[in-house]
Amino acid sequence: MKTAVEIDVNSGIGTAVMPKISHSRGYSCSMLNNTQPFSEIFDPAQGQPGLIQEIPELRATKILECTQCGKCAAACPLVLSGFSFYNKRVIQTIVVGFKDLILNDSSIWACQSCNRCTEVCPMGVDPFEIMLATRRMAVREYALPTTAIEGIKSLYDTGHAVYISEAGIPRKKLGLPETPPTTTTYHEALLEVQTIMKKTVLAELGLIPMGVFGITERL
Amino acid sequence: MKVGFFIGCNTAFNRPDLELAVRYAFPRLGVELDDLIGQSCCPTSGTMPSIDLVGWCALGARNYAIAEERGLDMITVCSTCFGSLVRTRYYMLTNRGIQKQVNRILQEIGREYKGISRVRHATPYLYKEIGLEKIKEAVKYRLDGLTVALQPGCLTLWPSQLQADKENDPFHPQILREMCEALGASVPGYSRLLDCCGMGAMRSTDMERSFYLAERKITSIRTEINPHLIVTGCSSCLIQLDTTQEFLQKRRRIYYEIPVLHYMQLLAFCLGADPEAVTSMSRIRPDRVLLDLLLRYQ
Ligand code: SF4
Ligand code: SF4
Repeated sequence: MKTAVEIDVNSGIGTAVMPKISHSRGYSCSMLNNTQPFSEIFDPAQGQPGLIQEIPELRATKILECTQCGKCAAACPLVLSGFSFYNKRVIQTIVVGFKDLILNDSSIWACQSCNRCTEVCPMGVDPFEIMLATRRMAVREYALPTTAIEGIKSLYDTGHAVYISEAGIPRKKLGLPETPPTTTTYHEALLEVQTIMKKTVLAELGLIPMGVFGITERL
Repeated sequence: MKVGFFIGCNTAFNRPDLELAVRYAFPRLGVELDDLIGQSCCPTSGTMPSIDLVGWCALGARNYAIAEERGLDMITVCSTCFGSLVRTRYYMLTNRGIQKQVNRILQEIGREYKGISRVRHATPYLYKEIGLEKIKEAVKYRLDGLTVALQPGCLTLWPSQLQADKENDPFHPQILREMCEALGASVPGYSRLLDCCGMGAMRSTDMERSFYLAERKITSIRTEINPHLIVTGCSSCLIQLDTTQEFLQKRRRIYYEIPVLHYMQLLAFCLGADPEAVTSMSRIRPDRVLLDLLLRYQ
């Protein structure tokens, strides 16, 4: 497994550590780093040249159109709640070439996929698409939070990113079938989902046990 | 009229009472629901979309293919499902290369994506296909005298350019408001109407920040309009606003609670569903509000 970035062991990114519970202001929260990460001044000359070219390859093609006008940031819930790397800043950090800054921070994983930024961008950049492409870049460095891995594993194992095995009890009480008419009821449907997932980059990355490339679940 | 019911993970496993409400309301308005047997996750953006665009589209396309085989559109009560499925359709229809790659994958499971079926959000679907007048005629119980605060749900509104049933002005959404007014409720605006509820990826990444957004929203609702209920069009908003209030109370951030219902739950109630059943998973019980209304009809 390659790791191109130094990962902060406390960040929870890319490692299978249990969520860290902190009790600041009494909230139990924050398995990941998203404190304002830099107090030092960065020298743009130190940035990785050509980083921006990775983004269109990961299917966000309009990043070069961005003028840094800031409309997307003004609309973004990540800004409102104090995350460090929101749409506009992710774009500029990629332009300058500081991949590690983004990858060591949880912000991109907190993106709500709300599409406010895409709605307001005057340049048609589709900043949400860039947030997703940046996640794809992070995944290829194995820098993703454990919650994301759990979601992907659940999707593969059950066909649902969110799956609650005890849901059968309240469902039954309501007179609904214990499992919904989805992959959780129809095994052949689940096999279809797994067949599809095995045909994607996910299998090459080996993030979850899929019975391919010799990676299987160890009991 | 028939439409596929794309249930979505959160509705199926977290809020089956909402699933029940949809299954109650739609047939009573003359829309038959198809189960889209074998449907899966949309998939949500933290999973395949964050790994690979073609893989995302392929899983979305499989859900579409199930609807297409039945010649149906799909409805969903979840903004996340809606947003994911709207996007994959857009990618496949605007990029032939992607569609080809997807169909090569789907071949393995004997399915094909043709690009016929659409996904539609349940509330705008009823607004367009059934209309306010028919809904008014069908309801048994009206909500006159009730004040509700709205929470439309991000992906219901944005990106508007990709949506079939878009609002005329997504920054001044009308559909959910008119739908609530049709049931008799009064629906004043409030300053943080368009704010995000904080559910979703943010909640799983950083609860503190997620709850901060919910608190801003709920405080604005309470201080500005003090409604009987919060009504949302999105199953994620439903879960977030219903569950965070308990937490905020414990933290002494708020000293009240406002029950939260999905529009489909409220509609099912008005159409005559058992209020306890269609809200059975609510943490904040809406019983007092709903039973008060029922008493008027005794
Ligand atoms: S709104 Fe568009 S052009 Fe402006 S900063 Fe954001 S992405 Fe760039
Ligand atoms: S989609 Fe993500 S980046 Fe864009 S406004 Fe929403 S939270 Fe911010």
